[in-house]
Amino acid sequence: MRTTVERSSTSASTVLLVALLACSLPASAFTVNITAANPRVIYLQVGVGAFTGGNLNAGGSPAANPTVNVVSVTVPAAQVGSGTAQTMTTNSTASTSFYDGYAFCNVPGQLYIGGFYRSTTNTGAATLQATSAANLINTSGGTTIPFTEIRWTSSGNGESGAQPFPAGTFVGGTQTIGTINRNQWAESCHTFSYVNSSFVAAGTYTGRVTYTLSTP
Amino acid sequence: MNIPAQGMLSLVLALACTGLTLPAGAATFRVDDGASLPRDSTALLRWRQVAPSRARDDTLEGAIAVAVRLNLSPWINQRGRLFLVLPEQGTTPLRASWVTHGRLLPGEISPGRRVLVYEGPITSPFLEDTLALQIEADGSRLPGMQRVSFYFEIDTD
Repeated sequence: MRTTVERSSTSASTVLLVALLACSLPASAFTVNITAANPRVIYLQVGVGAFTGGNLNAGGSPAANPTVNVVSVTVPAAQVGSGTAQTMTTNSTASTSFYDGYAFCNVPGQLYIGGFYRSTTNTGAATLQATSAANLINTSGGTTIPFTEIRWTSSGNGESGAQPFPAGTFVGGTQTIGTINRNQWAESCHTFSYVNSSFVAAGTYTGRVTYTLSTP
Repeated sequence: MNIPAQGMLSLVLALACTGLTLPAGAATFRVDDGASLPRDSTALLRWRQVAPSRARDDTLEGAIAVAVRLNLSPWINQRGRLFLVLPEQGTTPLRASWVTHGRLLPGEISPGRRVLVYEGPITSPFLEDTLALQIEADGSRLPGMQRVSFYFEIDTD
């Protein structure tokens, strides 16, 4: 009796399988998986940069440029510590925007700062930060000038609205310079000046500022 | 409560076949394309413009080939119109275009549409071709991998 029951169960399962194979219409679909090869892309240019194949609007693409530009000023002896701000100049030759070749900045008085942020996900804007040391150091004497003595204004030829990287003053540490919204290009021209608020020993004072663009 | 073997078979067949439409007369049927296969597991889409432009072109684009093998045996010796169907699937807005090796027609499609890819007599049980798909998607709304499902339909006279 027990053997019969088991045989009947097996038989019913077989019939069901055969029936389904015989009666079901074979319907299916092919599936293509899609994903972004480069879901996030960023480009940052401080001073000179590089594009290959022309400007962006001509089909160009960003490229690496390891150049570190210098912003400097020589303060006349009679002006040292006078409190009169001394406008700085740069050795950067970047005056046109790689966006479209527009003459956006005026060199040598302005330093171009620009970039873009590409992302497939809406997780916020990219953040541009600058990190400066506490002081510029006199290479011949070890005396210092606080980085807070350097400030900048921000503008761009043909623009009157708010700049993506607005005016500010170095803090002698890491600070936010501005943001770049997703899938947008942002650029500003910075005009630096030395505040010249205190008397310092003669010499060449140097320091480096590192700009970092971070994506969320 | 015992059910005879013959009765069980009839019951099972009746249940299994309920609701199925057989391919006879003018109607639309889904085609078995279970043997169709993309050549790659994933289509990698790249930004059409690497940098964001003033025109806000956020398109991602990429290509993938699909070896198509359609089982047309239920409609052999009939006339039919084959359509590629891309159902609405709640994915990022996209558009697909394709060229073929000649058995199927080239075309383009967007979600919610079907596009004619063949019209004429069904003379062999299987139709094989390759779709070289070019896919464009909205790069501002493609957070990760998405599955895009296509299928084929046939309209018979």
